[in-house]
Amino acid sequence: MCSVGDDGDRHMPSNVFVQYYDTKCQKCKLETPIVLLRRKDSYCKDCFLSGTNHKFKSLLGKSKLLRPKDRVLVSYEVGHPSTALLHLIRSGLDLNTPKKLRFEPVFVFLEDQYHLTKDERSQMITRAIAEAEKLKFKMHLVSFAESIMKDDVTIYLNHLNLNDNDGDAINNKFATKINNTNKKEVSNILRRNILLSIAKKLSCKFIFTPELSVDIAANLLTNISLGRGSQVPVDTGFCDDRDKDVKILRPLRSFDKKEVALYNVLHVLEPVTVRQTQDNQYASIQALAKQFINELNENYPATVATVVKTGDKLALDENKVAGNCKLCKGNILKPTEDLTSDESTSFSKLVSNELPDHSISSQERYEKVEGQFEHKAQVDNEYCFSCSKISRFLLSDT
Amino acid sequence: MDIKVQFGGGAELLFDNKKHYDISLPSKEKPWIIGDLLFWLKEHLLKERPDLFLQDNSVRPGILVLINDTDWELMDTVNYEIQLNDCIMFISTLHGG
Ligand SMILES: [Zn+2]
Ligand SMILES: [Zn+2]
Repeated sequence: MCSVGDDGDRHMPSNVFVQYYDTKCQKCKLETPIVLLRRKDSYCKDCFLSGTNHKFKSLLGKSKLLRPKDRVLVSYEVGHPSTALLHLIRSGLDLNTPKKLRFEPVFVFLEDQYHLTKDERSQMITRAIAEAEKLKFKMHLVSFAESIMKDDVTIYLNHLNLNDNDGDAINNKFATKINNTNKKEVSNILRRNILLSIAKKLSCKFIFTPELSVDIAANLLTNISLGRGSQVPVDTGFCDDRDKDVKILRPLRSFDKKEVALYNVLHVLEPVTVRQTQDNQYASIQALAKQFINELNENYPATVATVVKTGDKLALDENKVAGNCKLCKGNILKPTEDLTSDESTSFSKLVSNELPDHSISSQERYEKVEGQFEHKAQVDNEYCFSCSKISRFLLSDT
Repeated sequence: MDIKVQFGGGAELLFDNKKHYDISLPSKEKPWIIGDLLFWLKEHLLKERPDLFLQDNSVRPGILVLINDTDWELMDTVNYEIQLNDCIMFISTLHGG
């Protein structure tokens, strides 16, 4: 097994740099390359930019989901991915060829940057509006905190009411103090639900979110760690169709950080930037998964694509679905005779803590311990397995 | 030796929020390589915690380096010999939401 992490023990060769001085672009075989992707693919400027545009449009085209005039809510987040996404959409709309994009984008900034001061947030919002205006787009604004506290979504233009204590919105949602993993999880679920409400208010049938391949890979690991395996296809795939009216699409899911950053540099686009959160990488499962995938990406860049592709092969058997979770709207599976991995863990714990009674035969010992174990016929639940673990902390049902 | 250094994508937040610097590197016996420049920047211009910019004698992973608009991975990274009037750009991919 290869091991990547903080143990310093590396078995796979990494950082093998090859000299590329006199090579040519691997696409056109003519020009001098300006970028090396995934440590192996070198492209000239023109081939890199046309490849990036092509990749964006072909993913949208292949899905055949979008029809001309469909309204698409584009969720803006500060940073390179959204900046590149805005520009990719603008250049697609402005084309005069059959490859022209024909949907109608509607932009929204669902603001939740609570690690910043009120002034920093206000500047960030002004710059986000300006960034959209430069490309002749209008930015809608929604406050994450306000949406949660009022349990309703208000859409603003030009201005957002900011408060110093907005960051407490999530904490107030809980009856007791909960750990960072659950907090992050609930926050992600609420963000998704709010985006869906905004889309409905603005008559959009689709939402674009700006996750890159590293985000998809980290989400995949997080979902599996949190017992959300059955939700992997909708949570990390190209299309999240949990909601029957609005589909969430991830058009940047096969892009990496370097591609979008370089796309922006070559187009002289300067993304809105904010101070980083000084997240402790061990604070939550999400932060840990992100850290692990980022390190993987640095040392073995082709591996992240492999993780994403492996996730793409996971599918859910629709016959096993009993309903949808009240909180995350994910699938709840029908009860089965088999033990779930959760139950298997409890069974293993029970067996391991049992002192062997040598006065009876091994068969009798087995029957005794099995008799103690209750296979709780997984009753039909309102929540999926993972949400049922956090729902008991919630003040009100969401 | 006069060169240009540029910061973007949030890397400028570590350098006094300035995106462009014209700098003059003092002459020395051996040629200036990018590795030397990183330490020069740390000594002279870096305003925030060094670990947000540097790691193990190179830039921190997630910071993209371009030498005259070309990816430094095509130019031998830290070992590239700096030439007069070179423009060296550091783009952070870490400063998002
Ligand atoms: Zn080419
Ligand atoms: Zn759920």
